[in-house]
Amino acid sequence: MANILEVQGLTTKVSGYTILDNLDFSIEENELRVVLGPNGAGKTTLIDMITGRYKPKAGNIIFNGENITRMAPDKIFVKGISRKFQVPNLYETLSVYDNIMVSLKGRRKVVKTLFGKVDKKDNDRIWEILDFIMLTKKAENSVDTLGHGQRQWLELGMLIASEPKLLLLDEPTTGMTKDGKEKTAELIKKIAQNHTVMLVEHDMDIVRKIAKNVTVLAQGQILAEGPLSEVVQNEDVKAVYLGKGH
Amino acid sequence: MAQDRQVYKAPMFPLWAVIFAIGIALAIATYPFYGAAYVTSLLGKFLCFAIFALSIDLIWGFTGILSLGQGVYFGIGAYFTALSLKINYASVNPTRYGGTLPDFMEWNGLTELPGFMEPLQSLPFAVAAGLFFATLLAFIFGVITFKRHIYGVYCAVITLAESLILQEAIIEYQAYTGGFNGITDYGTHAEINVLWLILVVTFIFFIIGRLLTHSRMGTILKSIRDNDTRAEFMGYNVANYRIFVFCVSSFMAATAGAMYAAWNGIISFLDAGPVFSIEGVIWTAVGGRGTIIGPFIGAFLVKGAEFFLSGKLAWTWQLIMGGLFIFVVLYMRDGIVGTIGKWLSARKKHVPVGELIEEADALAADRQKDFRPGGSSKDPTET
Repeated sequence: MANILEVQGLTTKVSGYTILDNLDFSIEENELRVVLGPNGAGKTTLIDMITGRYKPKAGNIIFNGENITRMAPDKIFVKGISRKFQVPNLYETLSVYDNIMVSLKGRRKVVKTLFGKVDKKDNDRIWEILDFIMLTKKAENSVDTLGHGQRQWLELGMLIASEPKLLLLDEPTTGMTKDGKEKTAELIKKIAQNHTVMLVEHDMDIVRKIAKNVTVLAQGQILAEGPLSEVVQNEDVKAVYLGKGH
Repeated sequence: MAQDRQVYKAPMFPLWAVIFAIGIALAIATYPFYGAAYVTSLLGKFLCFAIFALSIDLIWGFTGILSLGQGVYFGIGAYFTALSLKINYASVNPTRYGGTLPDFMEWNGLTELPGFMEPLQSLPFAVAAGLFFATLLAFIFGVITFKRHIYGVYCAVITLAESLILQEAIIEYQAYTGGFNGITDYGTHAEINVLWLILVVTFIFFIIGRLLTHSRMGTILKSIRDNDTRAEFMGYNVANYRIFVFCVSSFMAATAGAMYAAWNGIISFLDAGPVFSIEGVIWTAVGGRGTIIGPFIGAFLVKGAEFFLSGKLAWTWQLIMGGLFIFVVLYMRDGIVGTIGKWLSARKKHVPVGELIEEADALAADRQKDFRPGGSSKDPTET
């Protein structure tokens, strides 16, 4: 299958420190890829680069055969990449319903939103997503009445509403209860059935549940890549996670 | 419940609001027939101030850009109109020096109207030019700041500087602007027709404001106000939205300025300066930012109180104004209208108390489970 995302020789430095070091990385279409790595390995930075938050020093990012390096974040989004932030990033004073509404695919230009209305199709789609993320009952509530787990789900729902070709999920289970984590893992599994997903995750329980292919980053480079069962046996990976002595 | 798949959305123009608005409009429109001339003159002014406050509300309350220089656009509209009126007035009413030029030009040794000011002899052109230049300046300002991701405090400081610059420029170029004395004595235009014109324009602008903020566009503007990073990563060109609203708002402010100049019969650099701009921010805050009717109420209440109380409390008035602003910011974030609105919607819901407690309990439990002393990622309930 064709690669939907290809990162070639990506290098970035922040005040002298190399965060990503000549990184080559690719994701196939309809794949669910889990990216692992210790703190400071460059996982979030990689997402920041792909989505245009920061500009790389060198290298290219090819998405669907198009070079998106150095594009503005909103342009990259329109190409089909949606990201979830580590800490849920929501519109705090809007209702849950409106949070999804604003995220629906299409209509991003000023002129088109000026006279835009929420038609029946939009409305149905919003409720469908609310059902999916288990927030139907909260539709009219404002976001600040949600629990932490629900906030994470809402952001997932917003990403689905935008119908992206590639979802970048940055630790979507951070700060959740065990129960919440399991539900989130289910959600991500379902999402991955018809989306390409790149998931950054720390929690090995979650990773074991959903991962097939894994990439381990360390110090801005790929340490190991492949099926989960092989990667966990890799001596380098063990060394990074457990320390040299083991 | 399955068929009830709608969320409640307030109607675009609720019946009570329409009746209320028409009632107020009729009261103002007919007031000159039986009321005091002094109050009539205040009404015209206050309507202009209400538009000015609305223009601040659009960018501050709905889009989250605090401008401390909205007076610039008001001032541009006012000065273009006043200059035109003055030039025309002077040409048929010779000054005490016998000339047919505006008096401030004669003082400064001008013997004929400068070439670049000749088009201002036509009032419609002057008004149109004022509105155009105000909007153009807003557009340029928006491109310079918003496109470079300058928001928040920096933006507020830049707008403040903008109004200081315009104020100094007006004082400096006395020959063309009347300088420190402002532009005075250009005939009276405080007629009932003008009041009606101001009223109609106010009405239209408030309808536009409602249309703009209650539509899909309005929700997007609020989402940008709440979280511009998220909006940007959701594909919205945040800068373009900000520029658009800033231009609309400046156009409104300039229109208010133009009508104010005609109605008031005297304008000065103060009408373009930072103090006036900040006053507008206070009206908006007191009335309720993020609501359409708030600026209207804020402008009428604060300005009305000023006119009727500042005579009695002359030297303390500024202190009271400052204190009022601090009070609103600390204890009434949503202003008068916002606070009443929240109170009403809280009453309307009629949620049984038991359900509320249950929900709050669940939320608290959820948050407690999320709490990790020492930041450990291990779940304490896990064995």
